[in-house]
Amino acid sequence: MLLCDFHIHTTYSDGSVQLSRVIDLYGQAGFDVIAITDHVVNGDSYIGKMAWRFKFTVTAHNFDDYIADIRNEAERAWKKYEMLVIPGVEISKNYVSAERSAHILLLDIKEFIPACATFERIFLEARQQDALVVACHPHHMTGLNKDTLYLWKHRDRYGKYIDAWEIANRDDVFNVISLKKYPYIANSDFHKVRHIYSWKTLLNCEKDVQAVKQCIRHNKGVAITLFRN
Amino acid sequence: MTLLALFLALTFLGLLGYAFQVYSVKAVVRSNRPQKKDPQVLPPVSILKPLKGLDDNLFDNLESFCGLQYPQYEVIFCLQDYNDPAYKVAKKVKDRHPERDITVVVSHTQEGLNPKVNNLLGAYRVAKYPLVLISDSNVSVGPDYLQETVSQLIDSNAGLLSNIIVGVGGKTLGAVLENLHLNSFIVGSVCFLDRYLKMPCVIGKSMLMWRADLEALGGLEAFKDVLAEDYVIGRRFYESGRPVVLSNYAIKNVNYYWDLRRFLNRHTRWGKLRWKLGGMRYLSELIANPVFLSLLPIIVIGITTVTLSMAIFTATIKAIGDMYLSRVLKSPMHPLLYILSPIKDILIGVLWFLPLLSNTVQWRGNRYIIGRDTMLSPYPETTEWSWRYRFINAVRMRFA
Repeated sequence: MLLCDFHIHTTYSDGSVQLSRVIDLYGQAGFDVIAITDHVVNGDSYIGKMAWRFKFTVTAHNFDDYIADIRNEAERAWKKYEMLVIPGVEISKNYVSAERSAHILLLDIKEFIPACATFERIFLEARQQDALVVACHPHHMTGLNKDTLYLWKHRDRYGKYIDAWEIANRDDVFNVISLKKYPYIANSDFHKVRHIYSWKTLLNCEKDVQAVKQCIRHNKGVAITLFRN
Repeated sequence: MTLLALFLALTFLGLLGYAFQVYSVKAVVRSNRPQKKDPQVLPPVSILKPLKGLDDNLFDNLESFCGLQYPQYEVIFCLQDYNDPAYKVAKKVKDRHPERDITVVVSHTQEGLNPKVNNLLGAYRVAKYPLVLISDSNVSVGPDYLQETVSQLIDSNAGLLSNIIVGVGGKTLGAVLENLHLNSFIVGSVCFLDRYLKMPCVIGKSMLMWRADLEALGGLEAFKDVLAEDYVIGRRFYESGRPVVLSNYAIKNVNYYWDLRRFLNRHTRWGKLRWKLGGMRYLSELIANPVFLSLLPIIVIGITTVTLSMAIFTATIKAIGDMYLSRVLKSPMHPLLYILSPIKDILIGVLWFLPLLSNTVQWRGNRYIIGRDTMLSPYPETTEWSWRYRFINAVRMRFA
């Protein structure tokens, strides 16, 4: 089984650890597959504008550098740790109301997709790029984390575009995903070093980007595990 | 005035002791390296690596033992649980080096109370060579490590050889404090005891010994209920007439992401060990902390020009000394980080008192009572003391 984490932030957005250190941290811990998913924040809301102001977002301007940096690190990670690194983003539609907010992981993304685009456009562009679409932390979370409930509230409308839902995010478990029998994965939503100890996904497939995406889409041979030291 | 003079004298004594420590580290580090040996005369070695959880830099640490320039050796990674996250890392390292003789042993040995010895027993029983090297999972070594240490063991006709430790890494406050302490007090004390008092002070990060000698002492099993198994093994070797030597080959103890609590926990535990092992000699450790001593007049007498100047002077001298020691050990940190050196010494000074108040330790998820020579006994759960443990536990659970 491949030990995987598909939701990791670096200093490209609001993470506290640099990309190369994140790679080493996961590589040294024996991970098989990880995805770097820094925020792409909408600039059309007050909260979104704050993220832009403090540079907590990947933009169209630095997207190519971001992807190139991930690809360089992916090469190093493969040579040194035999760890697969998938480039991705977390499209973050942030509003004051939790019911309007939504975060979407796009894994294996190639071209920039703006977060202020409509949901339909984001999903269709992601599909064109053959990116994996994951609805992250779709239900109520504990602690000070802001809920992002839009996709869950509109699951009947958008469910067909979503390849998998986060059934667990860091310390939270969303049993509604299991009740609805949606395809699932579990991630850390890594921002700080200690977040490595959290929920993770186990995949029974080849260590290859296409095989990983297929395994998640078909949701066979998928398990979750609480990674503790 | 008499009190101030007393504190001044104690602080001066502390600084003098510290100067001796610095000198002894320099002397050990700059002592002669062994001559290169013909590979034919180097005996094969079994390297035992007890693993438990993910240490910082674990993959690189384990891999550094797969590229050793040595004619014949085996590496045995030992764990207590297949679900231990270190198991996956050990397997990965093994798979990447098919040319090496690497074994991963998972044993559920529960013969003693020391979890590290329990873990090691599984590996010790399958080790096949006459020389045994016990090496912790948080150390990283260079390719010439084994050749140099074995050569030193043979040259000195010793029964056991340990290495000086250098703390490296340090991305968080706890890790920086840990490295500062390893590179000043710990290495200084080990070298001072070795050079001037001729006392073996073995730290289990790296222990190379003849299996036959260890067997003569009862094997690893004889130390299964001792918390400071490294120190006690060294002392038993020494008492049985087998020389114990300190190698000047510095091994790196990699600490990147420690939190402050881990630093405080470790040094409370180590303090308790030294109190139980050294008895009244433990009191000398307070005198070996000049920064803490120089702070006492401020607390007792109050802030005056003299007391404040004394504290600042001592802290500056100690920080410069620590910076120099790190350079000698080739483990320099950013110069600004040495500002933390006096803060670390004050924390260590406060921790010094804890072993006098408590004889229990929490280690690797278990709680023990430590007795004479760090003999372990399980923490009572049904005696009159149990209420205290249960109450604290209940409060902790409540706030978790």
